[in-house]
Amino acid sequence: MRSTRLPWLLLSPTLIILVITGLLPFFYVLYVGFHDWNIFSATGEMSYSGANNYRKLVFDQDFLDSLWATIQFTVWAVASEMVLGFFLANTLLQDFRGKAFFRMIHSLPLMVAPIAVGAIWRLLNIPGFGPVPYYLDQWFGFEYQMGAYRSHAFITTVLMDIWHWTPFVTLTLLAGLTAIPREPLEQAMVDGANRWQVFRHLTIPMMMPVLLTTLFIRIMDALRVVDEVFMLTGGGPGTATRYIGIHIYRVIFPKTEYGYGSAMSLLTLYFTVVLCWLLFIAMASVGKQKE
Amino acid sequence: MLHSSKSLRIATILAVLSLLISACVTAAPAPAGGDQPASSGDAAAGGSWWAQAAAPYKGVTIRGVSENTPPSNFVKDVLAKQFTEETGIVVEFETTSWDQMYDKAIKDMEANTGIYDFVYIEQDIIYSYLAQDYLVNISQSLADNAAIKSADFDESKFNSFIDYFKNADGDVFGIPMEAFIKVYFYRTDLFGDAAIQASFKEKYGYDLAPATTFEQYRDIAEFFTQYGKDNNLELWGTTVQGSTGHPASTYELIESIFPTCGIYNWGINLETFKASEAAGGTLNSQTAKDCFAFWYDLVQFAPPEALNSTWSEVGATFAAGRAAQGWVYAENVGWIATDEAQSKVVGKVGVTLPPVAEGVMAAAEADEGYIGYYDGGAFGIPHSSKNKEAALLFMQYIGQESVQPDWALAGGRIVMNSTFDDPKVLEQDAKVSGYYTLLKEKGNLFAGAPPFPFHGQVRETLDGFIHKALAGEITTADALDQAAAAVDQQLIDLGYAK
Repeated sequence: MRSTRLPWLLLSPTLIILVITGLLPFFYVLYVGFHDWNIFSATGEMSYSGANNYRKLVFDQDFLDSLWATIQFTVWAVASEMVLGFFLANTLLQDFRGKAFFRMIHSLPLMVAPIAVGAIWRLLNIPGFGPVPYYLDQWFGFEYQMGAYRSHAFITTVLMDIWHWTPFVTLTLLAGLTAIPREPLEQAMVDGANRWQVFRHLTIPMMMPVLLTTLFIRIMDALRVVDEVFMLTGGGPGTATRYIGIHIYRVIFPKTEYGYGSAMSLLTLYFTVVLCWLLFIAMASVGKQKE
Repeated sequence: MLHSSKSLRIATILAVLSLLISACVTAAPAPAGGDQPASSGDAAAGGSWWAQAAAPYKGVTIRGVSENTPPSNFVKDVLAKQFTEETGIVVEFETTSWDQMYDKAIKDMEANTGIYDFVYIEQDIIYSYLAQDYLVNISQSLADNAAIKSADFDESKFNSFIDYFKNADGDVFGIPMEAFIKVYFYRTDLFGDAAIQASFKEKYGYDLAPATTFEQYRDIAEFFTQYGKDNNLELWGTTVQGSTGHPASTYELIESIFPTCGIYNWGINLETFKASEAAGGTLNSQTAKDCFAFWYDLVQFAPPEALNSTWSEVGATFAAGRAAQGWVYAENVGWIATDEAQSKVVGKVGVTLPPVAEGVMAAAEADEGYIGYYDGGAFGIPHSSKNKEAALLFMQYIGQESVQPDWALAGGRIVMNSTFDDPKVLEQDAKVSGYYTLLKEKGNLFAGAPPFPFHGQVRETLDGFIHKALAGEITTADALDQAAAAVDQQLIDLGYAK
């Protein structure tokens, strides 16, 4: 008897905390999502509205635009980070002069809070004050205006995310690369495989668990980006960088549409889970085919 | 044993000494009974009235939140510290961004958590707060609690701006801490330069002077932008508070530009709560469309940062000498016109009324309209506060007549008529091109935000369309048509439309 109760007893503090901080808010958001609730409405009261909020969301062009912008942002940012991170991790595997210094400098962005990253990039990129628009104009005659052009703002947010999160990818993949046994790689080289063949047929398959984990973490992070972009562009110009996290923030806080915003949050969570699941299935099937 | 008896002797001596010292510096006698509040000058020996009234709350910490602005920073850096020294009540005052301030305050009041004991209430949000019954009735609370009513605090000494913070019964829910108008700033050095004047007259056929019409304003903006290019100067013709990702641009359009065209109350009909012209509003009227087009056209004559500029950046742009004229919140006038450490245009700032469309000035003078935004705010005490009495003392402390002049110098804000006549303020008035005189004599031509309990909700809806128009994604006319339809629908959904 005692042996079955003890593990639960030891787990209970964690479970209680998880229920209070995770499950209860989730069920509350689920509950609110089925209601119309704006504290600044004429009544200020919550009224049951069934699935109306979800029905409305499917036809809400602002929501759909925001979701599409978020997907574009995620694809560009995460793909670039994975490629760049892998390249840097491979580079850091080699010995070269100044390696320790480079690794330290390269990891610094990770230590900066996202809101500070947004502020730094804003100061760098504001036309009229920031050095980036100034030198782009001086050296290339290029008029950079992230307040006016959608593409400029979008690219700037992607670059900022790459700058901030590539070190995370690098360090994670470096840990994975370091853990790979050297013997199979050396054996393949002895058997006449070139560097590309070793990389494609040995390194990548052996790194797949680490790659997948890193990819999913970055996808989930990128899908819920808020603070950096909010500080940099505020979601503008227009709705160009109004990614889903910012859109939900604006609906729930300034507009105080609690019911609709809750439904939006849940649909976004559902979308994120489905996306990751589909990606996992796709990558797993590719792995099986190779086997 | 020897050691313990020695310790005992030392402890006894220390105890006796402590008792003697306490007796010498013990608190002053309790205040005289009666309901009549005493002024700080009436304090009995050993402590001011504030110290006596605050004695039960000594050591208490009160927390407040406000926007990071010059007037708020004066409270944080000067008044809060003075209050703590005098009363022993600690003031933790958080000055943050405008968005965060609202976010924090509303969440705290809505959830009744009691984190904040006083919050900043901008004039335009008071109607929402009153509708939600977030705030303590300060008049009533002071009437009910004579022991903490200071004779140095008198609601009647405030100017008419305090009326925005009263309910229908005349009870006050917020103590005004800042009030200023958004006015027309111009560079006196540029406007007064003989060569520039001649060049301007040659090009446009009339004398260069602060604009009184939109056509003049555009001419001046165009002229100085070209002048900057020709002379390789970092100078443009006008400021534009045109951030495409922040509510500041919406506010500039609906609260500062629209009224100069005769579009009041954001274009929303106050009887029907509808915005579209077909439903009795004026948000998408031809006048409003022309007005928006005029303002949008100015972006080409504004510095490159204009589409990223909120109210803070507009102040910084003007202070950096990058614009010849502009609509600027006058809470910045003090530092822009006098602080050489922060401003490049000290002694070069002119302040006057903004240009208006025909008939608008006459309507404002007849109290049938207004020409711009009378901005400002107050501090109020949430019902959720756990230290209401201590907060009430602080509200009165900052509401004393004696603290107003220095606060005005630091923040360009005046909330009491007597402040206008203070020697220090009169002296600074000359340095800020007579802004205080303008505020005193012409302040009545400006108005605060309309009494909307749905202020934030409608403004957020407007943002999307105005930002898209400023970014060139849709035309200004389409933006207002779409905005009017969206606001109509929103007010139906919120249950206000009639």
